[in-house]
Amino acid sequence: MIGHIIYSILSVGICLLTGKAIEIFLPILPASLYGMMMFTALLHYRLLNAKRIQPCIEWALANMAVCFVPAGVGIINHFELIKNHGFALVAIIFLTTFLLLTFVGLSYQRQLNKQASVDDEGLSK
Amino acid sequence: MISPTFITTLSAGLLYIVLTIAVYQVYARLQKSLKKAWLNPMLLSILTLIPLLLFFNVPFEQYYQATYPLNKLLEPAVVALGFPLYQHLQTIRKQWRHILILLLMGVFIAISISFIMTLWIINQYDIAVSLSLKSVTTPIGIALTEQLNGNNSITAFAIILAGLFGALLGPPWLSLINVTSAKAQGLAIGAASHALGTATISKVSYEHAAYSSLALIISAVVTAIFSPLIINTLAHFLQ
Repeated sequence: MIGHIIYSILSVGICLLTGKAIEIFLPILPASLYGMMMFTALLHYRLLNAKRIQPCIEWALANMAVCFVPAGVGIINHFELIKNHGFALVAIIFLTTFLLLTFVGLSYQRQLNKQASVDDEGLSK
Repeated sequence: MISPTFITTLSAGLLYIVLTIAVYQVYARLQKSLKKAWLNPMLLSILTLIPLLLFFNVPFEQYYQATYPLNKLLEPAVVALGFPLYQHLQTIRKQWRHILILLLMGVFIAISISFIMTLWIINQYDIAVSLSLKSVTTPIGIALTEQLNGNNSITAFAIILAGLFGALLGPPWLSLINVTSAKAQGLAIGAASHALGTATISKVSYEHAAYSSLALIISAVVTAIFSPLIINTLAHFLQ
């Protein structure tokens, strides 16, 4: 188990360091995102052993939200903003979230329906 | 020589980290046993820690500096997201292009409208950046906020709210507008409500889970690549 943990940490660490190196030459995306693509590619081409990494990564993904609590607590410095614009903030978040839900949901459902009707025609012929 | 003040700072720092993790753990267990999406441990931890800090008169800067190590874990957390991306590359290869174009359009519309609306109503650039980045998963949202000079705390909060709205109201709303297939529901909720929505809808079916996490990952990557372009262009024309 300890071996798996060290293997996972090293894999993520090396990808992140490579990401940092890429960021120096190509400063378009954050280093961590280059690292993420690197990690995906290494797993996909089986240069990393997915089975050894899986348990640690699943644990990390399930618990990582705790790392963002301090940033969230920072809202403490913005009571003034919330007092003045709290309603507008929540309303904008609410509206645009529903817009995105509706757009993606409806478009993909329409595409699926079209595919299904094409398949039906193919079957009836 | 290690000075005594260094030791005091170090132990105070550890105290805040342990406190943060402990509070989070309590709520995470609570949510696990009660299985309610709105009992979001991150939100509840924030709402518990704020009165605690206010009560004990701890300035936020002191707390934030002490918990800096937790913040540093943001980068490896983004890298770790490559794992679900790898898993879905294999399962859903056929409709890759359709989905990519659809999510690209969705991200484009959502970022533009959020940014314009916020700039128009609240008239603060950093808040507008934060609200534009609310549909992606937290580590990427925060990384992009820093890159685009947004406001970390507002982004963190907006992301939780977007997640809760989609997780709680997404499934009934989608059924109401006749989006009934598991694939379309999963894709929509993953795109609008990231990991929070995905975690909630994943209990419905494997197909929901697969499409939701696919959308979550692709929109995060698409947002990371295009949001600087969209936001800088809009800011250029609006300001």
